[in-house]
Amino acid sequence: MLTLTDLRKSYGATVAVDGLSLRVEPGEILGLLGPNGAGKSTTVHLALGLLRPDAGSVAVDGLGPPTDPAVRRHLGLAPQALALYADLTGEENLRFLGRVYGLSGRGLAARVEWALDFAGLADRRGDRVGAYSGGMQRRLNLAAALLHEPRLVLLDEPTAGVDPQSRNAILERILELKRAGLTVVYTTHYMEEAERLCDRVAIVDQGKVLALDTIANLKRLHGALPVLVATVGGAVRRIPTADPAATLTGLVAETTVEDFHVERADLEQVFLKLTGRKLRDE
Amino acid sequence: MSAPVHPPSSLGPVLALAGKDLRLLVRNRGALFFALGWPVLIALFFGLVFGGGGERGKITVGGVDEDGSPASAGLLQRLSATEGVELTPLTRAEAEARVRAGKLTAAVLVPKGYAEAEARLFHGAPRRLELAVDPARTAEAAMLEGILTGAAMQSMQALFSGGDGSRKLVDSALADLAGAPAGPQKASTARFLGELGTFLDRQQPATPATPAAPGTNATAADPTGAKAAGAAPAGGGWKPLEIEKRALSGDRVRPASAFDITFPQGMIWGVIGCALGFALSLVQERTSGTLTRLRASPLSSGHVLAGKALACFTAIVAVEALLLAVGRLGFGLRPASWPLLAAAVVSVAACFVGIMMLVAVLGKTEQSAGGLGWAIMMPLTMLGGGMVPLFAMPAWMQAAGSISPVKWAILALEGAIWRGSTAAQLAVPCAILLAVGLGGFLAGAWRYRAQAG
Repeated sequence: MLTLTDLRKSYGATVAVDGLSLRVEPGEILGLLGPNGAGKSTTVHLALGLLRPDAGSVAVDGLGPPTDPAVRRHLGLAPQALALYADLTGEENLRFLGRVYGLSGRGLAARVEWALDFAGLADRRGDRVGAYSGGMQRRLNLAAALLHEPRLVLLDEPTAGVDPQSRNAILERILELKRAGLTVVYTTHYMEEAERLCDRVAIVDQGKVLALDTIANLKRLHGALPVLVATVGGAVRRIPTADPAATLTGLVAETTVEDFHVERADLEQVFLKLTGRKLRDE
Repeated sequence: MSAPVHPPSSLGPVLALAGKDLRLLVRNRGALFFALGWPVLIALFFGLVFGGGGERGKITVGGVDEDGSPASAGLLQRLSATEGVELTPLTRAEAEARVRAGKLTAAVLVPKGYAEAEARLFHGAPRRLELAVDPARTAEAAMLEGILTGAAMQSMQALFSGGDGSRKLVDSALADLAGAPAGPQKASTARFLGELGTFLDRQQPATPATPAAPGTNATAADPTGAKAAGAAPAGGGWKPLEIEKRALSGDRVRPASAFDITFPQGMIWGVIGCALGFALSLVQERTSGTLTRLRASPLSSGHVLAGKALACFTAIVAVEALLLAVGRLGFGLRPASWPLLAAAVVSVAACFVGIMMLVAVLGKTEQSAGGLGWAIMMPLTMLGGGMVPLFAMPAWMQAAGSISPVKWAILALEGAIWRGSTAAQLAVPCAILLAVGLGGFLAGAWRYRAQAG
């Protein structure tokens, strides 16, 4: 669906994207997981043709480069910043953006209704966006990216700055999109979101893709072994093992296990192993 | 996910963008105040400061005494003492020059023979005054005419309350009358003068009665002086004073009131407020991320800039039209030419759209763009006559003001409102404004595209 080949982009001496290549398959959610400043947003902007790469290429399969307006009609973007007009109502924002994409008449009205329902803002359609809560604004920001029925949508940190409840609502809506077969590129620095949503994840740091695979494979290839944590005779024992069930069985045969649980590798550990740094600043 | 997406026509998205921006402007009370409220305040404030309304100042008059008699001096003295009149003694040439230059409302010229005519009083040519007025100040000229007549009547009153002098005047008039050709007016005037002499004698018994002049019926009874006095004008001859009024057109056209100057100034402030507001809105689109969303859409940067320019142009024209309407309805603004005014309004709007584009790309943040915008526009506005009128500036500053588009904007607006510019004359400032607008827009668009990367 989208192919990025050896992309490079620098701002002066700062290298934002450094030879980044990846391919997004139709119907999948591909996560770009990395800390702030890793080059995720720059990659999104390059993918949409908003930035001209210093080197490399971007192609939307079967359509051409994203700089072509005809190609852009099939792409959607929910920018990291809330790209909405605070002094316009939610409905006015959507109507305006619909017209920007060439929608009009009944088609526009139908899509605006859909977007308001999708964002859960049908009853607040007449309120100015500036009066919405952060979660409402984020949902509208997402709905606006989908208004024109893009084939590929790029969501740049779509849950930034929202409370857990709103974040959950947004993630639920993105899962709806996944079920509908939409292709999504999702940037985040929250590993929980990547694990919940993404079919594949690209670990990005310093403008490079360090690893790109399914979450299970990433954990398997780059994560530490699962750890069986068992309480035996009042003492806690931590046993790294590739097969926690077999190890537990062996342990039970030897002694009385008072309590146990398994600690599995997560993306945080994967990132730590790949970069030597934590994903988020503590 | 099957709704068709129509390719945007070239104009549809531009109209959508412009409509969005105008809607945002209307909802921004601060921007609206600086676009509409502030300019009206500026126009009103300076209009009142420069004497455009409210309590009128004194009528400035040049007094020219060519008779050099006590009578002419007395008349001018009485005029000078009249409340609301400020009289300056001048020569004829000086007075007329000042009226032409708009520095005086009128000149009162007392020609030779004034005293002689006053002495004759009731026959022969009446006392004559010349009143040279500024044609743009007809109301004040009419007031002055009334004041002059009043002053002349005061001199008559003085004549008839002066004892011997009054009696001598009557005797002299009767003697003159005796030598005049016979006619109905002669008889009635002689009768009136005779009655007047009798009246004056009764007021001053010590003065011996003067016999009536031969050939007159001065002693014939006319029961009331009023009847006699009234009879003379009815006969068509007697006038206490003749005022010869003439308009002195200036070497150049001048405004009818201070508001003719201050409203174009106010309009410029509104236009600047509007243009800088739109410049900030473009910067705000960049910083808030909405520009990123627009750039990710099928719109070209040309669409985005054209939409912003159309909105800015529409808003500026609306601001200018609104201020003109306020000036026309509330402050007597009378544009000399509506078609030329329309051309000036459009040229000003086009110019400031270009300036808006430049300011928008100069600042990276709203604060820097706002500060930079005013830092550039304030000196240009002051230099261009947006605060102190151009004519009040020293010559070197007027010349330096030519670098400011504000000067050309004011000249274009004033040209159509009160300077009486022809289409050819107005073409110069309008062409400069359009050139600045086009240059600013192209430079801004080039920089915008460069910044967009």
